[in-house]
Amino acid sequence: MSDAVEVKTLVIDGRELSARRGQTILEVAQENNIYIPTLCHLEGLSDVGACRMCLVEIKGSNKLLPACLATVFESMEVSTNTERLQKHRRTILELLFAERNHICSVCVANGHCELQALGQEQGLTHVRLPYRNPELTVDASNERFTIDHSRCILCTRCVRACAEIEGVHVWDVMGRGINSIIISDLHEDWGTSSCTRCGKCVQVCPTGALFDKSKIGSDHPKYPDFLPYLNLMREAQ
Amino acid sequence: MTESCGKCIPCRAGTAQMYTLLTRICNGSGTMEDLELLEGLCSTVKEASLCGLGQTAPNPVLSTLKYFRNEYIEHIVHKRCPAGVCNLEAPVEVQA
Repeated sequence: MSDAVEVKTLVIDGRELSARRGQTILEVAQENNIYIPTLCHLEGLSDVGACRMCLVEIKGSNKLLPACLATVFESMEVSTNTERLQKHRRTILELLFAERNHICSVCVANGHCELQALGQEQGLTHVRLPYRNPELTVDASNERFTIDHSRCILCTRCVRACAEIEGVHVWDVMGRGINSIIISDLHEDWGTSSCTRCGKCVQVCPTGALFDKSKIGSDHPKYPDFLPYLNLMREAQ
Repeated sequence: MTESCGKCIPCRAGTAQMYTLLTRICNGSGTMEDLELLEGLCSTVKEASLCGLGQTAPNPVLSTLKYFRNEYIEHIVHKRCPAGVCNLEAPVEVQA
């Protein structure tokens, strides 16, 4: 017999909603067709709350909380799209665009990029911050895929997909702060690493940082929708 | 900036950008737009960062902007460092 479901009622953007205990604000919002922008969140992977795009305001608290991690409580009042949040979201996107070398016109993911889509959607018309233009490398040693660090936003989706879904944990983050970089194994070439060439990381990557070599110069849409399905089938076994 | 772990974007990229803007102001190539930008950036890093490091990292900048704004403006407009710390032009020494 299943446990009794504990119901919490809350208000999101003026709408009275009910949720189950332990649900996150993002889950409740998505169930009720309330849009909250996300970047590092991906259905099927654990959440880290690193991109700060899904920050929401909670009435009575001065702190902004990430909707992907914050769980609901009774009679909480959530605002998902205030002027303050819009300003922060735009600044965060600006920071991302200025951090590495994001040049949409020469990117394989142009038109299928989550960063690009978010920029358009949040009304980012230009970047005021100075571009950092770091000199970064491209690792094309894998026979099927390539990683271009210039396009990486360090969302760590690839790290999580590899560790949690594929169970290999090839990817990890090396260094700290602005010098952080995604590495395979202990900073070895991707081609000679313990990678199984499953390609899950490529599908979950929101930008053109990870891409299929056969798609160079063509449209490269990503299909990360298989994750929740895969998890469901594994649970059923 | 070197203390940032790099997990969340506001702290990772924001503190680095704050440093760039401050350096620009300190060496005399800053503009009044940079000052505005710096203020906006500080508020985002402060409010949007994940942990206490990012949330408090902009505090020194914000408090100097609050209490010594004239010194920032002096750097930008007159290319002069009233405290004599920055490597701009040497401040005018007052002879007794």
